[in-house]
Amino acid sequence: MVAERQDRAAYSELFAYYAPRVKSYLMRLGADSALAEEIAQDVMVTVWRKAALFDRNQASVSTWIFRVARNRRIDVFRRAKRPDLDPEETMLLPSGVEAPDARIEAMETEARVRAAMKDLPEEQVSLLRLAFYEGLSHSEIAGKLDLPLGTVKSRIRLAFSKMKGRLEDD
Amino acid sequence: MIKVTKAPELDDVTRAALASGRAEPALGFFLDVLMEMRGISESDGAAIAGAALEAEAPASMKPDALAMAFAAIDRGAARAPAARPLTYPELATLPAALRDAIEAAEAHRGWSYAGPGIKRLDLGVSGAAKAEIIRLEAGTAVPWHTHKGQELTLCIHGEFSDGHDTYGPGDFSAFEGSVRHQPRAHDTGTAYALAVTDAGLRFEGVLGALQKLFKQ
Repeated sequence: MVAERQDRAAYSELFAYYAPRVKSYLMRLGADSALAEEIAQDVMVTVWRKAALFDRNQASVSTWIFRVARNRRIDVFRRAKRPDLDPEETMLLPSGVEAPDARIEAMETEARVRAAMKDLPEEQVSLLRLAFYEGLSHSEIAGKLDLPLGTVKSRIRLAFSKMKGRLEDD
Repeated sequence: MIKVTKAPELDDVTRAALASGRAEPALGFFLDVLMEMRGISESDGAAIAGAALEAEAPASMKPDALAMAFAAIDRGAARAPAARPLTYPELATLPAALRDAIEAAEAHRGWSYAGPGIKRLDLGVSGAAKAEIIRLEAGTAVPWHTHKGQELTLCIHGEFSDGHDTYGPGDFSAFEGSVRHQPRAHDTGTAYALAVTDAGLRFEGVLGALQKLFKQ
């Protein structure tokens, strides 16, 4: 009973932090407020149900929840004409366990990506965000920012390689 | 045809497509499983997205959002069937995401007969491309076939040969639909493959990049 109560307390904190951010992510990708709220709810319920698949050695909570939200979003947007989507049928869950080497590597990557994103100029961070988080193609980004396609390609490549460079430094 | 035994080194466009979910879901799933079976971490693209989610300005949820989530959790727990063992226990040691997808597919659809000694399980992945598990009993072969689009086949358990090469767990092949091939399980035991077909629609970006990268 106590363990259950504690789980619920921890989950409540997680919910308070992530549900509103997941909702923002979904609205950013074009969902209206009501749909975003509904999917964010679904995502957080999945987070509870599938918590056993989460490995804190492999990814940060944010990265894991992002992937759950991303996959849910794909399911819902693609099946928009099927309102009776079964919430139990969440496919494409993020991976669970990895080889021990990969685990350490993944945690280091998480920390370093965050550090690198602090160091990069805001313009480059925003390009990485558009490509890796919002899933825009290079030509969509070029249209959105009113930049030539070639410029977008080379700036993203530069930003990503700066980040990788930093990753490979030490 | 390419048989692949090396870790993929993906370019930024491919990584962005996979991390953000722009890539075809079945293909993203295939790559997740592949990386995991090889113990490869492909985490920097995902970490960018995770950091971006943290940095997101929170949108306010309804006041009873948390209560509704707990209600959904309790409803789910009440009607959830007792955890069922997998139909084929040898699949229990697969990567967690794959095992979970198999469990869900068994609960919803189940395995279907696909010829003597052959069964298939549709994983029900959304999108145009299809992902399924093919089970071949020892010594059984899928009939020679070609298909409309491209096909990726990852050996997840046991061993099979396809008339071009031999595959063990973690090896995969990428075929153009026009190439005839015939996976046959070795006589030593049952073999399982994760097969993804694009139905002739669009793997272009990501699969093209993969093929380029994997040609050694």
